[in-house]
Amino acid sequence: MAQTSVIRSKVRHMSAPGTRDQDTQKWVDLLHQVAHHRDREAFRQIYDHFAPRIKAYAMNQGVSQQADELVQEVMTSVWRSADKYADSLASVSTWIFTITRNQRIDLLRKAGRMQAEIKVETEELWQIPSEDNTVSSIQQLSAQRHLSKSISELPEEQMIAVKKVYYEGKTHQEVAAELNIPLGTLKGRLRLSMQKLRVMLEAKEL
Amino acid sequence: MSGYHPDEITLMDYSAGSLSLAQSLAVAVHLFMCGQCRGQLEQLNALGGTLLAQSDPQAVEVQGFDDFMDTLDAKPEPQITTKVQSRLYNPLQNLLPDSFDAIPWRKQTKDIAEYDLTKQLAGQGVRVALQKIRAGAKVPPHSHRGQETTVILSGGFSDELGVYHKGDFVTRDASHRHTPTALQNEDCICLTVLDAPIYFVSGFYRLLNPFMRW
Repeated sequence: MAQTSVIRSKVRHMSAPGTRDQDTQKWVDLLHQVAHHRDREAFRQIYDHFAPRIKAYAMNQGVSQQADELVQEVMTSVWRSADKYADSLASVSTWIFTITRNQRIDLLRKAGRMQAEIKVETEELWQIPSEDNTVSSIQQLSAQRHLSKSISELPEEQMIAVKKVYYEGKTHQEVAAELNIPLGTLKGRLRLSMQKLRVMLEAKEL
Repeated sequence: MSGYHPDEITLMDYSAGSLSLAQSLAVAVHLFMCGQCRGQLEQLNALGGTLLAQSDPQAVEVQGFDDFMDTLDAKPEPQITTKVQSRLYNPLQNLLPDSFDAIPWRKQTKDIAEYDLTKQLAGQGVRVALQKIRAGAKVPPHSHRGQETTVILSGGFSDELGVYHKGDFVTRDASHRHTPTALQNEDCICLTVLDAPIYFVSGFYRLLNPFMRW
């Protein structure tokens, strides 16, 4: 009897709204293995999955020449800071994204350091989500779970605008020129896409 | 709680890491004071995580996992083992003394004093400063060539378009001519970032944009 109820509660836990799907949970478990046991096999899986995606990010962002350097910097941070990751605050891919973004900014800042004595560290301007600095809620996590599907439901022209601005690190002027649309139209598409994503996420949270 | 926020496109650019560093400082200072925008930022970061997860993987050429780990083992752990900050952090903390009174303000008029941070944050075409306006005083009417972003750190002010309090994030561009007046009860202290952006379109210079726009 007792066993059945444990199983049942596990099943309910797995399928309750606001919990994560198996794939999301898999990365959380692997990163915990790294944090608590310095588990190299777990880290190998994380590395094999994320390193090629970080490389793709670097190439999209126009830092192809330093792409492998970026991959190494990010994976070093992941290995060394795994204990700072809190699964209640962000998915593993979001956490790794914020580290990647910051390392890319660091690379660009280092390249321009002659121009100025810079006294603010990148991490002071862009915080990595961790305990105490992040508003955590169940909604945020279920939001994460549905985002990938929601993005694919955006009208194509909005999805392209979001990807170019968000993922290719381009200025609005550049993206507008590439798409051959006025700046105002681009901003309109970005605003619409953000509204749509929010509506889709909220609908799914109910 | 703050009533005026960066618009969602500004937050999106910030989250993507494509906003200029000076503007990012203004956003980060606002985030420090605004839980609502921190919540919105989490969603935007999650968008970044999702796009990262969805991207087409590219082969890492330089080394495989085992080589990577060998290199890592050979590297000494840095003294600060991580750059990941754990506490909610005021990005002005290391730039300013502990209290506003201890700042070496430079008087501009009898009502306005300034502390210039441009040298510490650098760059051409951008100005970053703290401004202190005496309670109840009026700033002469002005407009801007570029975009002016103001984040209120203490006190408040009003202008032709609204009344602003601690934490508020206020943006004015060249089309606005305004006459800010500090609220009566206390001095108004704010961070102002003046940005006259330079945009390059061709590939190579695009790389330099983040600091060219400082």
